[in-house]
Amino acid sequence: MHIDWWTLGLQTINAVILIWILARFLFRPVARMLDERQAVTQAALDAAEAAQQGADRARATAEAEAEALNAAHAARLAEARDAAAREKSRLMAETEAALEKARDAAEAELAGLRRAQQGELRDKAGTLALEIAERLLSRLPDPLPLSGFIDGLAEAVAELPEATRTELGRTGPIGLRAAAEPTEAEREALKSRLGTVLGRPVEIDVTTDPGLIAGLELDASTAMVRNNLRADLERIKAELSDE
Amino acid sequence: MTGNLIEIVSILAAAIAVSFGAIGPALAEGRAVAAAMDAIARQPEAAGTLSRTLFVGLAMIETMAIYTLVIALLVLFANPFV
Amino acid sequence: MDNPLTLDPLFQLGPVPITAPVLVTWGLIVLIGGGAYFATRHLTLRPGKIQTLLELFVTTIDGQLRDTLNRDPAPYRALIGTVFLFVLLANWCSLIPGIEPPTAHIETDAALALVVFAATLGYGVATRGLRGYLATFAEPSWVMIPLNIIEQITRTFSLIVRLFGNIMSGVFVVGIVLSLAGLFVPIPLMALELLTGAVQAYIFAVLATVFIGAAVGERPKRNLSSQEVSKP
Repeated sequence: MHIDWWTLGLQTINAVILIWILARFLFRPVARMLDERQAVTQAALDAAEAAQQGADRARATAEAEAEALNAAHAARLAEARDAAAREKSRLMAETEAALEKARDAAEAELAGLRRAQQGELRDKAGTLALEIAERLLSRLPDPLPLSGFIDGLAEAVAELPEATRTELGRTGPIGLRAAAEPTEAEREALKSRLGTVLGRPVEIDVTTDPGLIAGLELDASTAMVRNNLRADLERIKAELSDE
Repeated sequence: MTGNLIEIVSILAAAIAVSFGAIGPALAEGRAVAAAMDAIARQPEAAGTLSRTLFVGLAMIETMAIYTLVIALLVLFANPFV
Repeated sequence: MDNPLTLDPLFQLGPVPITAPVLVTWGLIVLIGGGAYFATRHLTLRPGKIQTLLELFVTTIDGQLRDTLNRDPAPYRALIGTVFLFVLLANWCSLIPGIEPPTAHIETDAALALVVFAATLGYGVATRGLRGYLATFAEPSWVMIPLNIIEQITRTFSLIVRLFGNIMSGVFVVGIVLSLAGLFVPIPLMALELLTGAVQAYIFAVLATVFIGAAVGERPKRNLSSQEVSKP
């Protein structure tokens, strides 16, 4: 077997040259590029991680802010609700008070009205009673004798103040009004009774006034003594009205 | 005649070398392929790795036959006795 | 039929006879080197198609080296990658009519195997020191020293003959079939030769890696390859 040593040597040199060329122009640049890309990728990954962390932090902050905002919102809501509740209760209390007052006022008014009505009714009743009494008395066949009233008049005059009593009948006859024309006996009796009461003889001037129904009325300048049914009825009526 | 005899013997030797040298690798390749088929049937997902290894192994086995071929060629074309 | 084992010089370059494999190898050097130069002239961080292909190639070689050696592949990348690329393209030269693959002649294979052998010695000495590397021949005991030396030689020889025999037999068979049957018939055989060429390139590179790995002191993980190593 023949081996061409020249070819063998040349091929060895060729192989070494090819290895050098490829190492210089293929493997080294490509490997460097791969390393470079790896470094760049690593850097990009690191940057991405950092950005991710930043984003996480930002999100956490935002969440905390949202939380705080929510809490504030809730607090404000609760506050508003409280205020509303207070306002409502206040309004309700006011309304209730106003209602109470109005009811009280209404009740008072009602009571007043009722009282007024009652008074009116009583007035009317008194007037009615008066009229009834007047009519009944006027229907009496014989007017009531004055003698029954003389004693009362005298007692009333006796109770008058001293000045009035001394003044009474000094300037002239004492003015008397009677329900009916008094008889002579009655006139005398009156004169004597008043004289005993006043301690001096007096003159009397009697005028007739059927409005008195029955009884007497003494009319002085400063005093008036009434002792008749009309006065009684009016007094009763006033008492009734006052109740 | 002597040269002729040597040439005849050389040709016979080359034929015998190749024919007998092919027996062993043929059996070995058959076994290897059968084993690879079995393995692929068991694990179809490993078919890629198995077939790659199979090809390399077949080439290795085939190298034995190639050796005999080289010997035969040497005997035929680079016979030192001719 | 031409003798496939001999070479006739095409022409003389001074005292040096230039044969066909040398010429084809020069052409391959120009092709590969020029291609590499133009392909890597504008490397960018955003790779194009060619750059992606180159990076895939380099990354794959790196992965294989890392798997086999269990160490940083940077010092061995250029040698193994170039051997693989050159053997692959040289094997596929048979596709071009009129061109015989340089690897079909034993001189080219012997040159490549010598380069690998020298690289094995060099890496071994560089990694372990001269004394440390020589001490590996006495493992596991001093009795093994002759065997280890013979193994070094035979495995290199086996590397040569494997590549040579495969490619040469392919060319030879295609030539015989062509002379017997005519055009188009050898096409399936040529397709088979493509596969054989690729597998042989891969095996050559892997075995070179394993040799270097054994020299630099890393237990090879591939049982298949290590068994083949001890085979004469």
